[in-house]
Amino acid sequence: MTLPKSLQNREFRSTRWGVLSERLIVISLALCATATVLITIGIIYMLITQSAGFFRSDAVTMSGFLTDTEWTALQSKDLAQAKFGIMPLLSGTFRVTLIAMIISLPLGLITAIYLSEFASAKIRSWLKPTLEIIAGVPTVVLGYFAILVISPSLQLFSDGAFSTFNATSAGIAVGILCLPMVCSLSEDAMRAVPRSLREGAYGLGCTPFETSVKVVVPAALSGIISAFLLAFSRAIGETMVVALAAGTLPTMTLDPTQQAQTMTGFIVEMIKSESEYGTVQYYSLYAVAVTLFTITFLMTLVGQIIRRRFKESYQ
Amino acid sequence: MSSMPDAIVKQDAKYLADNARRRKRFSLWFYFLCVAIALISVVILIFLMASIWSQGHSRLSSDLLTRSHSELEIERSGMWPSILGSLFVCGTCAVVALPLGVGTAVFLEEFQPTNKLLRWIHGFVQLNISNLAGVPSIVYGLLGLTVFVYMFNVFGQIRVNESAGMEIMGYKHFYQVLTLEPGHVVFVPQSDPTKRQTTFDEPFQAVDPDGNSIEISIWTPGTPKPSDPAIRRQTVRAGAIGGTITERSWYYFRLPFDKSFLSAGLTLALVILPIIIISSQESLRGVPSSLREASMGLGATTWQTVRDVCLPAALPGIMTGAILAMGRAIGEAAPILVVMGAAVAKSTGPKHLMDDAVTMPVLIFNWAGRQQDEFKELSAAAIIVLLVVLLLLNSTAIYIRHHVQKAQS
Repeated sequence: MTLPKSLQNREFRSTRWGVLSERLIVISLALCATATVLITIGIIYMLITQSAGFFRSDAVTMSGFLTDTEWTALQSKDLAQAKFGIMPLLSGTFRVTLIAMIISLPLGLITAIYLSEFASAKIRSWLKPTLEIIAGVPTVVLGYFAILVISPSLQLFSDGAFSTFNATSAGIAVGILCLPMVCSLSEDAMRAVPRSLREGAYGLGCTPFETSVKVVVPAALSGIISAFLLAFSRAIGETMVVALAAGTLPTMTLDPTQQAQTMTGFIVEMIKSESEYGTVQYYSLYAVAVTLFTITFLMTLVGQIIRRRFKESYQ
Repeated sequence: MSSMPDAIVKQDAKYLADNARRRKRFSLWFYFLCVAIALISVVILIFLMASIWSQGHSRLSSDLLTRSHSELEIERSGMWPSILGSLFVCGTCAVVALPLGVGTAVFLEEFQPTNKLLRWIHGFVQLNISNLAGVPSIVYGLLGLTVFVYMFNVFGQIRVNESAGMEIMGYKHFYQVLTLEPGHVVFVPQSDPTKRQTTFDEPFQAVDPDGNSIEISIWTPGTPKPSDPAIRRQTVRAGAIGGTITERSWYYFRLPFDKSFLSAGLTLALVILPIIIISSQESLRGVPSSLREASMGLGATTWQTVRDVCLPAALPGIMTGAILAMGRAIGEAAPILVVMGAAVAKSTGPKHLMDDAVTMPVLIFNWAGRQQDEFKELSAAAIIVLLVVLLLLNSTAIYIRHHVQKAQS
């Protein structure tokens, strides 16, 4: 049997070059992906090697770092008098974060319920962009808003009980910042709940309130919790708002009217002070960054795992 | 007949009706609560915009857009260098982050491995990217400070007014020496890079500020001093001391990068890389697999499919994500503050690759933290300019999302 004429005369091109270039492209794309792993390794390596310069110093002990209640890395230029206890910075961070969460979690969750369960398409079409705009406002702008509007109004309403820079105004601004994030992530989770569940609930005689709170929210709980955790880690890592509005004094109280230097706020102040490279005070920057990174990384990791592991699938 | 449960047999009609009414009323109240709380975010936004506008609108002038920061003339301070600086920093950031991000997204989405070990690595990289997106931007700032600004001190520290580190290209060192004509200097190319000063006793070849090569003669004190300005410009007192000065071309390059706009741009690229990867992945995932299968069925290789089918189809989504990420980059202050410091005195844009720069958010941060009311108002005005830029970017993104996507489908 002979081949048809068209195939007999055909010249087949070698695919060797094609295979080679294909392989080169795949390798270069893989290198791009490796870059992201390198960034993580870079962050961890940088934090460990640089903070070693801090922990190796005689003025610092690990237990003192974790338990001391004073942090004077910026105030005392003399190393002998400097106190390195992370607690005041942690306390400041958690005061600001707590206030931010008190604002953003309920508001974000209820707005998300409204958007996914009640709002008409028309209301959605302008409420969603509003939230997107708030999410896109640079954080330094919210920091300015905190010192320009929130702090003076707090002082006005409380007859000056709040100091000019205080944890509450920063917390409120950070809360505004986290609100769109909580809202859009929880809404995504709730919209992924199949319609049949809602119809089942309505068929059994549930009111809209009962359907959304007792059926949809529990069904979307893994997504909602991971949204909360992500917002929490965002609030802890927020920098510009606290640098502007929370003050520069590390305090160890529960009083939200006082100044509260946070971990990120301290890093900014340290950079601004242009302290000499290589001193223990300078390296304390990295010790604070290690703490910050560990907390946020764990939060994000747990959030991701919850979202993946406990995702309800309706097939 | 099977017996009914008690709860159904002993129904109390009045109780049930009351209960239903109560639940319905409660549900209605909940609805109103939802509306009210959803409105709060709108109110916050309006309030935010209104308060910034009322503070800053009086300072919106051509001075703001064309002049630079000034401690002496607070009234006439402006933000022109910071606009240029933001442009340079974000340009660098885009040039680095876009190819890297889209490349990673393509690799993760289109080249999914079948091997078990590779699949595990794939999942790990994916988890790693989601985690990177959650790392606070200030940590990236510290990474940039250590890796780009100081490079772990491998090349030595850079001190003020000293060209330390390892210079690679685009620089010329000169000795600068005063001539007899007051205020006039000539330059002598530096031969020994370690010698920071030199003394002139012999006639020598030099370059005048216009770039002409001239012969310089020496005047010894005690002999008659030349009076003709042209000669005085070519004469140097014996024993005059020349200090070094460096002329840098735009491509001046050295290691480490020091507090330059290049360091800042690279650091910002790290910050927005996860965002670009995630949004590009989502738009690639949105490309129907029938398109891929058709292309593969026609004999295209995976890369040909990606290049000619998937990427064009996903382009509007990728561009939208990229523009939104750039919006994030323009507004980001913390990493830039860490990398370049909080100084805002610079009066021009960056002149060479290693030059420092001021960006808009850092300028706003600096002004907002000052005591003077003028600076607070200027800060609000600068915020308005920044928000207008962001608005333009975001509306481009929305335009692309709505129109280009519609045209394609």
